[in-house]
Amino acid sequence: MTSAAATAPHPSPGSARARRIPPAFGLASPATLFVVLALLGPLALMFRYSLNRFVPGEFMVEALTLENYVKFLGDGFYQEVLFTTLWVSGLSTLLCLLAGFPVAYYLVRQAPPVWKSRLMILIILPLLMGNAVRTAAWMVILGDKGLLAAGMAATGLFSPLKLMYTPAAVVIGLVSVMLPFMIVTLRGILEGIDRNLEDAAESLGASHLMVLWRVVLPLALPGILAGTMLCFILSMNAYATPVLIGGPQFHMMAPEVYQQVAKAMNWPFGSALAFILMAVTLVLTTVANMLIQRRYRRWSE
Amino acid sequence: MSDVILQSIVKRYDQTVAVDHVSLSISQGDLVALLGPSGCGKTTTLRMIGGFVDVTEGKVLVGGRDVTALPPARRNMGFGFQNYALFPHMTVAQNVAFGLEMRRVSKAETAARVGQALDRVKLAHLAERLPKQLSGGQQQRVALARALVIEPDVLLLDEPLSNLDAQLRQEMKIEIRELQRSLGITTIFVTHDQDEALSVADRVVVMRQGRIEQDGTPDEVFETPRSHFVAEFMGVTNLLKGQREGDAHFRVASGELITVPPEARGAIGGMAFALRPERIEVAEHSGAAAVNSLEAEIENATYRGHVIDYRVRTPSGLTLVARRPAPALGGPKALGAGNKVRVSWASDAGVLVPL
Amino acid sequence: MHAKWVNRLYATMSAAVVAFILLPLVGIVWVSFFSNRILSFPPEGYTLDWYVRAWGMDVFRDGFVTSVQTAACATLISLGLGVPASLALTRYRFIGRDAIQTLLLAPMIVPGIVGGAALFIAFIELEVLFDHQIAGTLGGLLIAHGLIALPWTVRLVTASLAGTDRSIEEAAASLGASSLTIFRRVTLPSIRPGIVAAALFSFVISFIDLEKSIFLVGAGRTTLQIALVNYLEWNLDSTVAAVATVQIVIIGTLLLASDRYAKLGRAF
Repeated sequence: MTSAAATAPHPSPGSARARRIPPAFGLASPATLFVVLALLGPLALMFRYSLNRFVPGEFMVEALTLENYVKFLGDGFYQEVLFTTLWVSGLSTLLCLLAGFPVAYYLVRQAPPVWKSRLMILIILPLLMGNAVRTAAWMVILGDKGLLAAGMAATGLFSPLKLMYTPAAVVIGLVSVMLPFMIVTLRGILEGIDRNLEDAAESLGASHLMVLWRVVLPLALPGILAGTMLCFILSMNAYATPVLIGGPQFHMMAPEVYQQVAKAMNWPFGSALAFILMAVTLVLTTVANMLIQRRYRRWSE
Repeated sequence: MSDVILQSIVKRYDQTVAVDHVSLSISQGDLVALLGPSGCGKTTTLRMIGGFVDVTEGKVLVGGRDVTALPPARRNMGFGFQNYALFPHMTVAQNVAFGLEMRRVSKAETAARVGQALDRVKLAHLAERLPKQLSGGQQQRVALARALVIEPDVLLLDEPLSNLDAQLRQEMKIEIRELQRSLGITTIFVTHDQDEALSVADRVVVMRQGRIEQDGTPDEVFETPRSHFVAEFMGVTNLLKGQREGDAHFRVASGELITVPPEARGAIGGMAFALRPERIEVAEHSGAAAVNSLEAEIENATYRGHVIDYRVRTPSGLTLVARRPAPALGGPKALGAGNKVRVSWASDAGVLVPL
Repeated sequence: MHAKWVNRLYATMSAAVVAFILLPLVGIVWVSFFSNRILSFPPEGYTLDWYVRAWGMDVFRDGFVTSVQTAACATLISLGLGVPASLALTRYRFIGRDAIQTLLLAPMIVPGIVGGAALFIAFIELEVLFDHQIAGTLGGLLIAHGLIALPWTVRLVTASLAGTDRSIEEAAASLGASSLTIFRRVTLPSIRPGIVAAALFSFVISFIDLEKSIFLVGAGRTTLQIALVNYLEWNLDSTVAAVATVQIVIIGTLLLASDRYAKLGRAF
């Protein structure tokens, strides 16, 4: 026993040897099983159903066909929906990056120590208030009689801007949802950049913009990529914001999936939509990842 | 190349004063070491000269020009960082070229000057490597080349040797010294290592708690420390507290009366006699008592290769450390704990410092 | 030291961005006290009537109760499954460890709507198979909410475990402690902050979930988030603002509490 305990790599020499099943297996399997049954299984089922046929009146007919995917590709309406989803997501992500970087940089390099944690809390709290509450809040602000309209009327300089139920309002709403994610991700990478590198560049005569462009940006690229992908994925799949702020005439992919699966009960087509959404997101993020990794790899290894 | 003048500079953070009215005048071409323990304000002082830290009060003049309010980019100083701060995403050549690029030097001239700078530090063959592919010593050389290629007025080095192993440190010391001599560039470097400061610098500035404690040539600082703190920092292990008696004598707190050099320094208040362990003779036989000789017993002998340190204790309770060459190097025969010995030193072997 | 204007520019931009993030929340809290009958600016006066009215509405009161129940149960599921799994992931090396780690974090990555739709389809099929309702029941909701909370527990607890010093466990083992004793007396106390943070996060994540729940709520069993969205589709008044304010206060309190145990910024 003593010699076994001395050589065993684990802190639990007895149980590691006594039982045939390794303890790690017993500890991890309930959670693993749960995720397999509640996530992977249903996803596999849904993928199978996306190959079935929907016959009005008969619900779903067993088949092995790509017609749901073909229908999507041939239908102008859904192409439009995907296109809207893509540009809204792309624009929101870009805005998040532009607005998030200065905040992350300020947090890491300049904010007085007491303010660092306070600012962080102020940025993260709204993130966890829930999409329903945050969307309601934007409705209060952007609505016809909302704070923004009232404020603009009060100045008397602007004609009241109609923002509610416009794509612009959706972008505003999405940016406010995703900005905290972007800031937190960028902060993480900026914290890992040695401040001396920036000082060194400055002492060699670089202006602040030059320091950002030649030193900070290349080194922060992995974080910028991670934050961008995260925001892009989040907005590609946004539900509450497009439905409530975009209004009934505004269509994005995630609400369409809900519409088809839960309301129209067209499971095959709804499932196909879900997988197209995931596939498009996956392909775009992977390509972006590869393009940027190629430049980054040489010195990151 | 320029002289550097610090006019009573102060750095104050919310509550604390990091640098407290430091004035210093460094002539052109000098190599000056700012020496002190961590937290003494030496790095803050260096960073204020470099422009990375705002100066709360006072002025920094370089070549007669007031640079206090200038950002680092406009000071034309070369800065060597403790961790070298090489840009990890650029090759050695790109690192060295960076400063020239910022100065919009032509491509052809940049290439020529980068080549020259790398030749100077003997790294031309590694120009296309990335920093992480270099050893610590090579990285240090690249950092030097990068700082020097812009032909700075002043070279500032923050603990340039602290990340190197003992042997490399020895080589780099010589290299930095020679590079500095051949370029004749005014250089200020920060270190916590007294040995490094003494062997490299023309002038050593010892700092403590944001103030200058002593400023002088290496041998002045080493031989005649002006305070208890400097003496201790310079490796004086025997600091005997006591009172001056007359012109040439000193009464140690434990009772012994010893002869000290006549020139009185800061004769008011408590004093300490600073005596280097190397200056104490240890003799086995208790012969005739000469000046400054005491009967003692060896408490402990520590063999350190080329020397042996003896901790001895007098009957009155005074403890001294004496350092003798090892027998193999011509020193006396090694003694062990419990041996009765006589320790002695010349009257000018130590100095009196205020407490 | 940058030029002063550079510093000021960063500070100004940061203030603007933080204001933009906070603006909607401040706005809705403010509106919840307006006495205007129809939501509009500026306020005609202030009142607490909307809070009384919100509590009087069955959808919100029942939704709140359901949400609290669901979130509490989801937290237990998340901890019960996640803590042992985290222990396995950090303390043992085994084949497929990385794959299992990815799998356990996957519910965070798979889009809520897609995962919700898949679960909904699977539930309906199981209902047909066993002739027993699942979608629309508390059980169905709990599975979905346990699933979305689990990755947060795994993430926070593995981080906490990775941050503790293995050698103290080895020291305990060398002193003769059994593995259960080591866990109870040495490991657990040192990762308690991580577990508390995981519990609070699981609760909040479940409480605010919208995308998965929307498929799974039943006639008598609606979470607060779904009740809010359903209400918002047709109305926008200060009742919603009052409900939102209550939620903001509750979640804000929970998160500030968890920030003491694990810095919020590190959780993402």
